[in-house]
Amino acid sequence: MNARTRGLLLLTPATLFVFVAFLVPLAILLAGSFQRDDGAIGLQRYVEFFADPLHQEVVLRTLRIGALVTLAAIALGYVAALAIVDLSPTSRARLVGLVTLPIMISPVARTYAWIVLLGRTGLVNNLALQFGLTDAPLRFLYTEPAVFVGLLQLLLPLMILSLVSALENVPRDAVPAARMLGANWWVVFTRVLLPLTRDGLATGGVLVFTGAITAYITPAMLGGAKILMLETLLYQRVNVTDDIATATVITALLVSMSILAKLVLSRLAKGRSK
Amino acid sequence: MSDAFLRLHDVTLRYGRTIAVEKLNLAVSAGEFVALLGPSGCGKTTTMRAIAGLLKPSAGRIVIDGADVTRVAPNKRDVGLMFQSYALFPHLTVFENVAFGLRLRKLPDADIKTRAIQALASVGLAGTEEKLPKELSGGQQQRVALARAIVVRPRLLLLDEPLSNLDARLRLEMRSEITRLQRELNLPMIYVTHDQVEALALADRIIVMRAGRIEQDGTPEVIYAKPRNEFVARFVGFETILTAARLAAHARLPGPAYAFGWRPRHVVVGTGPYQGHVRGASYLGETVEYLIESEFGPIKAEVAADAPRHGPGQAVAFDLPFARAAPLAADLPA
Amino acid sequence: MNGRALQWTALGAVLLFLLGPFVIILAAGVSDGETLTFPPEGVSLRWAASVVAIAELRHAFAISFALAVLSTLGALLLGIPAAYALERLDPPGANIVRAVVTSPLVVPGIVVGLALLRYFVIPLGIGVRPALLASHIALLIPYAVRVVAASLRNLRVDIEDAAIMLGATPLQAFFQIVAPNIRNGVIASFILSFITSFNQVPVSLFLSGPGISTLPIEMLARIDFTYDPSIAALSAMLALLSIAIVFLAERLLGLSRYV
Repeated sequence: MNARTRGLLLLTPATLFVFVAFLVPLAILLAGSFQRDDGAIGLQRYVEFFADPLHQEVVLRTLRIGALVTLAAIALGYVAALAIVDLSPTSRARLVGLVTLPIMISPVARTYAWIVLLGRTGLVNNLALQFGLTDAPLRFLYTEPAVFVGLLQLLLPLMILSLVSALENVPRDAVPAARMLGANWWVVFTRVLLPLTRDGLATGGVLVFTGAITAYITPAMLGGAKILMLETLLYQRVNVTDDIATATVITALLVSMSILAKLVLSRLAKGRSK
Repeated sequence: MSDAFLRLHDVTLRYGRTIAVEKLNLAVSAGEFVALLGPSGCGKTTTMRAIAGLLKPSAGRIVIDGADVTRVAPNKRDVGLMFQSYALFPHLTVFENVAFGLRLRKLPDADIKTRAIQALASVGLAGTEEKLPKELSGGQQQRVALARAIVVRPRLLLLDEPLSNLDARLRLEMRSEITRLQRELNLPMIYVTHDQVEALALADRIIVMRAGRIEQDGTPEVIYAKPRNEFVARFVGFETILTAARLAAHARLPGPAYAFGWRPRHVVVGTGPYQGHVRGASYLGETVEYLIESEFGPIKAEVAADAPRHGPGQAVAFDLPFARAAPLAADLPA
Repeated sequence: MNGRALQWTALGAVLLFLLGPFVIILAAGVSDGETLTFPPEGVSLRWAASVVAIAELRHAFAISFALAVLSTLGALLLGIPAAYALERLDPPGANIVRAVVTSPLVVPGIVVGLALLRYFVIPLGIGVRPALLASHIALLIPYAVRVVAASLRNLRVDIEDAAIMLGATPLQAFFQIVAPNIRNGVIASFILSFITSFNQVPVSLFLSGPGISTLPIEMLARIDFTYDPSIAALSAMLALLSIAIVFLAERLLGLSRYV
């Protein structure tokens, strides 16, 4: 038996498993979005989905939150990553460990912290009451900003880690060289660091954006039934009304948005580098 | 050649469409030390891996000790292989590295111990048994690899550029070590290298390869003094090679040949029928190396340092004496 | 304030944002008060004890734990041979296979759960437990393949050839030479997979059944009607458990190299 045959044999179980227990069911679900009620192929389900104003609102909100979280993660990510790569290798490793830590912790537990903070008797309201900023507890939970903050905290580590590994590959002398030529901080960032870390930025961007638009736990806990995002909408439609037609369309939207984000951002990463 | 220990009959290896080795025929007698010499990509390593069994020939037969092993798995061939990168097992001690092959042969523990320790001693590494490979120097790792390969007493030992990762001094030391072991064990060895000096120093016979074919097969003396064609000549250090057609206009040729080749030290500088200009001169201690611009193109010459010297830019007479030239055949189409 | 100081302050703020919530969870979880408030009222472990006393939560923990262990083992069992084949044996169609086995990474979890429920579990008449297990194995295979493939890439190919030339069969070469050298990668993959499965919610949402719920899903279900600090105590315990595992793993193997 030659190596290639042996290779095929070793690959078969995993491939077959993923095929039967994942790809085929997914393909059937996706195909369902193109099925009309009379059984023929058509876009009826999409037309009906987008005719509902609530659905439009949820799609727009999902994209909006995804974009805002990604932008905020890029800004905070660069701030943190630039400071981290400035450190000695030991402290750098320690800080990377600290940033990695939240990824390992249950997202339910992580998100619950925001309920403690933002709830009616949480820290923020208690402080506001104490300092007389408000007379009655304010409502923070089940608002869009709450979902935004929760997702940002959840996904920011992924951006920081991507940027740190990208910045580690920037030649050590690139920044001092640019400064010697008289470039100010902003020019150094936009003309030197940004182009050199475009790959890491794209990687982090894909992780954060797809993470945000496909999140379930955070919108479920901090947005509830009021601030629905695509995943929570899907769960609600299937679980409450057994509306599989809507679910197939949401599936198609989520999968195509994830793939599109990946394509656009990886194109951006390669595109303009000369 | 009928008593050959190893024989390759028309062995061909293809990767997809590229042919790495084409219809190669080769015979190695018992106890012989053969070097496969050639530039990278010439097929020498592919040939060696086919003999080891790590690559399957697309066509042809490989016979070891009278038995056809073409379809025999590498672990059943009883052929040793020493890797360019040493390929020591990083998680095992030096002793366990050497004992690995013996344990697979299910020898009694006492025998394993005696033989492994003896093999390590024979390469000068007694006392390192309990160390890990990474605690040893490159030269020591090399010796462990050698001990590991010979301790199982293979019937044939293949060496893949074993000295290329060592510095010059260690290389010299290892060279004599390998020669000594080869004589002691009377083990047929095939030594793959791109370094003509190594091949000349070590081998009983040198096989020069290029583009998957054998260009020349001969003793070191023959390869060094009488390269068959331009390719082999260039590879073993003939820097000036001129076709007979070109030379005919200037001199009477001593006999029929496609071309003639000279080593730098064959070129006579200071007297002769040809004129040139010195473009560069490098003092090398014993000798001076000149680069002479001439009607034949640049000529490299090396003359004794105590001869009259010529500075850059000077006109100089020189000679390409046929008495010292090697007549060369035309290259095979690559 | 100069640039340096500004930079450190900003980093501090980001770290506070990332890690501060855990301090808050910890503090809220050891509160002695009757309701979830912050700052906490007094210090006590009674809410932590109360969580442990709830049978459904203990049951859910056991299910999550068993599910995480079994799905991790399953994923490694399927993933290690696949990673080895992809890295070493140049099988036909390697790129397609690589795309197939890593595809669960790019599909939203809830979609995976729904697709499996409708077109795998129901049609094939699979029970809730095997269904959960199958979905988690599919989810973890990409991690197993990726991490093991990375450790194989760091290991010289020729040491296997060396073992074979010394008389080892390919299987002996794998178990005696390759396996000990990728052990750390496999353990790292085990830990990552275990944590991923244990914390997983969206995939399991549709696949949990009556009486069979994983711990994070049981927690989600309880959040809406829990006003005391018990969920905070549970969250704190889970966070501490994860931190302990990660800390140990980092100490023993340098886990962050594999993330």
